[in-house]
Amino acid sequence: MTETIGIWVAALLTLFMFSFLYKDNPFYKFAEHLFVGVSLGYSLPYTWFNVFIPYVYNPLFLKKEYLLFIPCVIGILYWFRFSSKYSWLSRYPIAFGLGMVGMGVPLSMHASVLVQMRSMMLPLDSINITLIFIGTVSILLYFFFSKAHKGIYGRFTSIGIWFMMIGFGASFGYTVMARISLLIGRMQFIISDWLHIIK
Amino acid sequence: MKFSEFIQKVDRRYIYIVVALAVIIPLIYPPGFNTYMTTPVEDLYRHIDKIAGRDDKAILIDFSHDTSTMPELYPMEIAFLKHCFQRKIKVFTIAYYPPAAAIIEMALAEVKEDYPDIKPNIDYCNFGFKSPALYLPIVLGMGDDIAKAVETNSEGCMLENLPIMKKIKNYDNIQVIIETSGASFGLSYMTYARGKFGVDIAVGITAVMAADVYPYLQTGQLVGSLGGLKGAAEYEELVDVFAKNDLDYSKKKSRDVKWRADQYSLSKIDYKYKKARIGMDAQAFVHILIILFILIGNIGYFIEKKQSKEKYIK
Repeated sequence: MTETIGIWVAALLTLFMFSFLYKDNPFYKFAEHLFVGVSLGYSLPYTWFNVFIPYVYNPLFLKKEYLLFIPCVIGILYWFRFSSKYSWLSRYPIAFGLGMVGMGVPLSMHASVLVQMRSMMLPLDSINITLIFIGTVSILLYFFFSKAHKGIYGRFTSIGIWFMMIGFGASFGYTVMARISLLIGRMQFIISDWLHIIK
Repeated sequence: MKFSEFIQKVDRRYIYIVVALAVIIPLIYPPGFNTYMTTPVEDLYRHIDKIAGRDDKAILIDFSHDTSTMPELYPMEIAFLKHCFQRKIKVFTIAYYPPAAAIIEMALAEVKEDYPDIKPNIDYCNFGFKSPALYLPIVLGMGDDIAKAVETNSEGCMLENLPIMKKIKNYDNIQVIIETSGASFGLSYMTYARGKFGVDIAVGITAVMAADVYPYLQTGQLVGSLGGLKGAAEYEELVDVFAKNDLDYSKKKSRDVKWRADQYSLSKIDYKYKKARIGMDAQAFVHILIILFILIGNIGYFIEKKQSKEKYIK
């Protein structure tokens, strides 16, 4: 019974959302606001019971692990953002956050830059690698603005534009697929779970 | 009104109706188009399948998304779980988003009902929701000791006491970490878990992000990827062809559409296990429709442009 009510509510809210395609209306507005409220309402108690209670309240007050006071106090300092007089205190937790970012720099450099560069320095023994090489060099030169894009240099950088256009086209194609997938997902729910036309 | 003017001024609501019909009709009467395999999906399937039946190896799936991307990512997650349960592959699940915890429960319940022999905390373990603030300590900590880093499962039981953890200590026992996400493509896992401990990473992502992962596939930083509904459809089919029939993966057979078609009958498969494939039928129709719209729109545009030019010359 509970499942059936849930399916009906979900189906009606889906139709309310789709009604925007005709024009803006109170049903759409209602569903939109409900979505925002429910998302926040769901996350708040979930975080309270799954994060605050097991990781702060229990160790601090039941297990008497008082060392946890230090990160708690540092975390609370974030709230001083709302005070114009004491907002400087919030910089301390931000400093800790930045320290964490610093920790990730060498590993990020390795994962996102060095390994990627290494894959550009392979022998040009296949069509794919040659194409990747030409594409990378021509795009990098296209974004090099200290030399006018004229003559042979200009012609070579225009190859970079072609590579980028093909890349944008692939991304756009994938985006269309993603958006249609969302529609398909909702339609599958309506046709299968709600109306039981397909099983 | 001339044709070119009509094309330029057609009410978009008519287009919505046509698109809706192009989705609904193939969903009700699926034409059953072939699913062609791609290397990133095959690689991931093979990589996971290698540890079938082993109790010292497992895979970890990070459900890193909320309900908005479920149409694309949920069929992938169902297919991963079905593959693992069918081939006796140990699987861990984790979520750093509150809504994802509910999605894990739903996916596990949906697949588990067809595998009554599969037991929680013995064959699979749901780590449940962990605070995003604990993401880095957990990801780095698992390199040393998974039970210490994650501490408890979704029911609050200590991991160190669970039977599934008997032979599983750290990343050395993790075959692959799969992040299913609509926002990131495993970069944090690639940076920290792979960068520091060398564990293999794969992703299941929405189609919007699918093009972005190719540089990482080329370098081998990702062992595989599933891009959108298409990736999910491919994995669904591989599971139905190889895992369901307890066959070892073969690339030659996987690429043989006719051989694959002989291995199973789509009409006999539960709807929940073929959602992506049925969805791809509708997807194909809509793509054709969109190409037609683009062509017609452009024809209308050029006719109108030519006519306005002629008018100006006169």
